[in-house]
Amino acid sequence: MTGLLHLTSLGLYGIAAALLGVSLAKGDGRLPRMAAFIVVGALVLHAWAFAAFWAHWNELPLVGLGPVLFTLAMVLALGSVIAATLGHANTVGLVLLPVVVLLMGAAVAIGVVPASDALRFQGVWFALHVLFAILGYAGLTVAFGAGLMYLLQFRELKTKHFGAIFRFFPPLATLERLGRSGLMLGFSFHTLALLIGWAWVERFGIVMAGGNAKLAWAGLSWLVFIAALVAGTGGGRRGRRGAWASVLGFLLVVAAYLLIRVQASHGGAFL
Amino acid sequence: MVEHFCDGDMALAVIGLSHRTAPVAVRERFAYDRGEVPAALGRLVESGVADEAVLLSTCNRTEIYVSASDVVSGSAAALSILAEHAGETAEASARYLYQHRDRSAVEHLFRVVAGLESMAVGEPQIQGQVKDAYNLARETTSAAGAVVGATANRLFQTALAVGGRVRSETGLGVGAASIPSAAVELSRKIFGSLKGRRALILGAGEMSEVTLECLRSAGVGSCLVANRTHERARDLAGRWGGEAIEFDEFASALSSVDILISSTAAATPVLTRDLFRGSNPSGVSRPLCIIDIGMPRDVETAMAEEANVFLYNIDDLRQIVDHNLGQRRGELPRAEAIIGEGVEEFWGWYVGLAVVPTIRDLRERSEAVRQAEVEKALRRLAHLAPEDQEAIDALTRGLLNKLLHMPTVRLREAAGNGRGTSVLDTVRYLFELDGEAEHGEAEDSPDSTEKEINR
Repeated sequence: MTGLLHLTSLGLYGIAAALLGVSLAKGDGRLPRMAAFIVVGALVLHAWAFAAFWAHWNELPLVGLGPVLFTLAMVLALGSVIAATLGHANTVGLVLLPVVVLLMGAAVAIGVVPASDALRFQGVWFALHVLFAILGYAGLTVAFGAGLMYLLQFRELKTKHFGAIFRFFPPLATLERLGRSGLMLGFSFHTLALLIGWAWVERFGIVMAGGNAKLAWAGLSWLVFIAALVAGTGGGRRGRRGAWASVLGFLLVVAAYLLIRVQASHGGAFL
Repeated sequence: MVEHFCDGDMALAVIGLSHRTAPVAVRERFAYDRGEVPAALGRLVESGVADEAVLLSTCNRTEIYVSASDVVSGSAAALSILAEHAGETAEASARYLYQHRDRSAVEHLFRVVAGLESMAVGEPQIQGQVKDAYNLARETTSAAGAVVGATANRLFQTALAVGGRVRSETGLGVGAASIPSAAVELSRKIFGSLKGRRALILGAGEMSEVTLECLRSAGVGSCLVANRTHERARDLAGRWGGEAIEFDEFASALSSVDILISSTAAATPVLTRDLFRGSNPSGVSRPLCIIDIGMPRDVETAMAEEANVFLYNIDDLRQIVDHNLGQRRGELPRAEAIIGEGVEEFWGWYVGLAVVPTIRDLRERSEAVRQAEVEKALRRLAHLAPEDQEAIDALTRGLLNKLLHMPTVRLREAAGNGRGTSVLDTVRYLFELDGEAEHGEAEDSPDSTEKEINR
């Protein structure tokens, strides 16, 4: 049953992303209404699967790579809907939905089941730590999507190439505002996640080595948030600077994760 | 009534002129101010040749829609009112005017509302203009009564619904279709909403004013106007609630505005990069959208290299307009299909009006027979209790309704599929309805007709 829910929501996300892509390729500058309905439908199924996981395993899908990617995909899909409605950036799903499909596909491939050591991580503070971390990375991903679209739209406007991107992408000001909101929220949640993680380690007297991979990655991510936020302030070309910082920062965080994970596969576990 | 529909002499017509048939100088003479419309509609309806009338007057068209029992007289009266207003004879006006009747008139209105007949195909303002014209006619009362009745109500409500569908279901209204609106579209792609943005208008010519009008209606908050002749700058600023500044000050004002519209008659660029740098040594700290619609260009192309500056000239705007118009043309078949559906819907209802008198006559005749027979029977059955008598009355009423249900449905279907004439004649002959349907005050009442057809 839950497997079917996962596959159906994955398929629907894929269809919605494809519809957006086709609409962009057609260059008519309009968001297919159907895509919005499909994303909402997929999100409902996703949430249903989330609740089913909780009911079945008596814990939230926050431990283990599969469950975390599954939850991150859901938060991102929700972020895409929020960006489309409250953020007036209805085509930002063009970038975010493929990421959602990628995350959800990876989660389904890995298996959305709790990790074997899940019981060790039971507790409200741990759940909050992971949840806030997921929200933080979702914020960074939204900033990445908005930043990428900003750079492409900026290029269209500067080079006077009024093509499909010009018509389909939101205005620069909207993308800048969306990216900044993503960074601000992401930074806040990420900082909270770090603080809770630190308190949790202190409370249980867990010893973490200075070169701990999780610690290094979390620290790098926090610095990326800071750098992107600083780059997007002040005058001059702040919009472009902020967009570049969001895009490069996101790629750096992803690359660092993959690198650490490859390293960890030889000598120990890493998320 | 039956013969009226039989010979195809439908009582709907539109007469008018538009940008396609008349130059602007002629259109100006035929145009009506809002305050003049009620009197014109009143005259038309009071003359007795038109039952209902709506007058649409925009900068690109003036049209009178009439519903009349004698469409020829109705059109002639409308023509004479238009000609008189323009100060011309009917004969002289005729060469600018077009007429559509019946189904063609309905289709014309639907095309107008959808923007297919507009100068810039798909422009949205016409929907509001038609709505205003319809509402004004609804508020107008002549000595002969209201100038809008069941037919015009249904016609214009359907037309507005069709216009709404065309705009929401097709891409006909997407994108700018004129140079000023392309300037707005470009600005929006940079700033999003233009609400509260500041604009600087360089040059006080007609193009500057039209673009300023577009920007103001898009939400631009305040504007500065600079012109070599300061008086003209002050006039333009006064008309649009702006502020006139000295021409020499415009470069330093650039750091405080979001949009610059430049349309001067200067032979050489008035805004060079050196001038900009001289007035704004550190450039501008926020995006500045420069729309240069001057010919020759007013802004040096090197300005595009400045950080935060987005520079566009008239060719860039034309590129956007051409693309949008091309896209809109591609949407025409879909728009026409929606219009076709709307015409079918209205026409089905309108043609159905022809069967209403027959249905009513048939029901009245049958009811009269029923009542007479029931009374006759009850006189013989006077010993029955009142409840039993009521039961007999209800039984006959139910029987009659059941018997008449299918003929009523079939008559309406026949009216819609073009077989109405012969079927109506047959029904009237079989039930001896002729001679009863031709008179009666209620029969001509639009309200009673509308209630009947909606039943």
